[in-house]
Amino acid sequence: MKVPRFSRKTLCIPYGVFLLFFVLVPMLVILFYAFTDDKMHFSFENFAKFFSDPTKLSTIVYSLVIALVTTVVALLIAYPVAYILARSNIKKKYVVLMLFVLPMWINFVLRVNAIRELFNLISQADGLDWLSNANYFKTIFGMVYDFLPFMILPLYTTMMKIDNSLYEASADLGGNGFTTFARVTLPLSVPGIMSGVTMVFLPSMTNYVVSDMLGNAKVTIIGKFIYTYFGNDWHMGSMIALVLLIVVFLSTWLTGGFKADETVRGTNL
Amino acid sequence: MNAKKIASMFLASCLLLPSFGMLAGCSGEEVTILKVYNWEEYIDEGGEGSYLYDLALEEEVPEKEIVAPRIIDDFEVWYEETYGEKVEVSYSTFGTNEDMYNELKLGNVYDLLCPSDYMIMKLANETKEDGSPYLEKYDESFFDPDIETNYYIRNVSPYIQKQFETNAGLDTPAGEPQWNEYAAGYMWGTTGFVYNPEFVDAEDLEEDGWQIFVDPSVKGKITAKDNVRDTYFAALGVTFEGGENGLSDLRKRFSEGELTQEEYTKAITKIFNATDEDTIAKVEPYLMDIKENIYSFETDTGKADMVNGTIWLNYAWSGDAVYALDEAETPEYDENGDPIEGSELLLNYYVPEAGTNLWFDGWVMMKDVVERGTKKAAQAFVNFMSRPDNAMRNSYYIGYTSVIAGENAEMLDYVDWLYGGEEENEEDFYDLSYFFGEDEGTVGIYSDEEQRTCRQLFAQFPPESVIERCAVMDYYRKDASERINELWSRVKAETLDAWAIIVICLVVVAIALFIVFVKFGGKIDFFRTKPKKGYHRV
Repeated sequence: MKVPRFSRKTLCIPYGVFLLFFVLVPMLVILFYAFTDDKMHFSFENFAKFFSDPTKLSTIVYSLVIALVTTVVALLIAYPVAYILARSNIKKKYVVLMLFVLPMWINFVLRVNAIRELFNLISQADGLDWLSNANYFKTIFGMVYDFLPFMILPLYTTMMKIDNSLYEASADLGGNGFTTFARVTLPLSVPGIMSGVTMVFLPSMTNYVVSDMLGNAKVTIIGKFIYTYFGNDWHMGSMIALVLLIVVFLSTWLTGGFKADETVRGTNL
Repeated sequence: MNAKKIASMFLASCLLLPSFGMLAGCSGEEVTILKVYNWEEYIDEGGEGSYLYDLALEEEVPEKEIVAPRIIDDFEVWYEETYGEKVEVSYSTFGTNEDMYNELKLGNVYDLLCPSDYMIMKLANETKEDGSPYLEKYDESFFDPDIETNYYIRNVSPYIQKQFETNAGLDTPAGEPQWNEYAAGYMWGTTGFVYNPEFVDAEDLEEDGWQIFVDPSVKGKITAKDNVRDTYFAALGVTFEGGENGLSDLRKRFSEGELTQEEYTKAITKIFNATDEDTIAKVEPYLMDIKENIYSFETDTGKADMVNGTIWLNYAWSGDAVYALDEAETPEYDENGDPIEGSELLLNYYVPEAGTNLWFDGWVMMKDVVERGTKKAAQAFVNFMSRPDNAMRNSYYIGYTSVIAGENAEMLDYVDWLYGGEEENEEDFYDLSYFFGEDEGTVGIYSDEEQRTCRQLFAQFPPESVIERCAVMDYYRKDASERINELWSRVKAETLDAWAIIVICLVVVAIALFIVFVKFGGKIDFFRTKPKKGYHRV
């Protein structure tokens, strides 16, 4: 009897099948829908409509700006936290780290809802009633809150890996605190920044649960647009999804998300 | 088979995987699986707060002994007792008519659906990819009142039946089907405003009508719906309320007897269903003003925001309004179980004088019931839900109004039980004759003024004076649908000026080029910086 050969490659089959059916095929379906009309004939109509409609282009721009602001704010908050955590001598560092990651254990819709109620409560106070209509502010606040752990973690792991002797060398050569930061810490933490940025920037372009709940659905980002269009016009919905896919691909490529080199490995979650 | 079909079949099969397991699970005995697809929280699910539970509480049955099953379980038992066959209901829910429509488009198969009026029309008029229709007509015997178990036709309100037979006065092109061939009613209601009388004066509201949406005195304290159907409808109200042949003008002419009910209904239905380019151009600035003035576009947060005082006015469906009113007036209890003073809040319901939306949700069968052999069970399900006691259970649980009146006006006792006053003063008479198909002034209950004019009774069982100024929504035909969608995206999203888009695109390109430069600059000779003088490259 022939024993079936069992190689390590066989282990890839489940994931391969998953990849084929839930990543590749849906993408092809989107591509198909984007370039057809209702009668399923090939057409560039949606493509032309998309790029000639100022509303759709503006929404892409708004989403980009919201995502950009979210990323910058998250980075500004996360960087010092990660730096202090990585450099300090606190004994139970992981406890502090866990405190930052802990919110991720609670369902995110629940958390966003809680923030919404919190804002409602705060905005009833005198002088804070502007908050109830500060939809963009609240949206960005929610996104930063939601994605902060994704920024802290890669930064922390990258900074942990920086060899202490480098700091010592910098001090020996007469570098002050600022020089050490600018010449040692910052350049060496760039891979962490990059993967953090990728992980915050991309989802915040599409996370319309936050913009609906905290922005009172008066803030429309591209993710919501895709959802709305899929309610009645799949072809345009697919076209918007495709454009978004290209934007995402380009920004991932530009920030080096596809590189699998030593410094990035392990910092991508 | 075309490519779309293959794609949709693939997607559908992914979604259907769980139900294969279920089919395999009951191969031992002949069991019919009835697949029902209904709105979320739109049926009696038993347990605490259900009708049977509260009835038992009223009869002082100890809480532990109360049995309040789900109505679906009761249907399965009843079906076996009545027809000697087993049926199992596979129940799933949807959030919007459009979500449901998409599921069907993907090729998913159900036996019974519960879409709204305009979606029933859409489904009845459209066909699937392969040209076969979506819907199956009801049997003729379904409408025979002499059959004992035909609870639907025996108990449905004559008023509702007439609406279904005439498509509620919609001006549908010849050859389009009547609702009642395909649909049996389930719930119905109006659209209006839940308001907090502490902040909003009822008289001001009456003066404003639809204009309340753009009234600066409630800026940031009012909500609209996050779907184009309801909000566009409201915007039409705002736009065409005034002026000659406007809604108010028509209303006045109708009340002076210049127009008949039929002419009046036709005229306002036309206004509320206008989707031509001129109308859209007129409505758009008003929609923008509405967006500016409201607190939020919402689909389900309005009730909570109303109760906790974030907003003063909530554009709502009557059933949701009843729910919000109930919820707000229920006091909170302290640790001793005593109600906390001031924790209850009285909210009111208001319908614009110039007219509003009258809607229906009805049961329709998909064509596939024939092939699946579930038509009998599907019709039995509709009948069972239409038995007055069951209609009360559903209605009590979800807060919406059932289309069922009862052969002997059983529903009237239920309304009386819920909202009836203790004394029978003549001026407290609330006339519901139209709903029970009787002569004016003969059927009704005695209730206090608040219930009659602005509270649950008024919301759940609107008086004829509200109904006569309502219009039903038609479905958007192909090109209208596209125009409305474009309008909606312009309203929801911010549109920048062309030059701003160009500038921002240029900035983005510049940033991209910069990154490319940083990334690859070192690898390309052209970018490589020359070593400074005096240094040597090692």
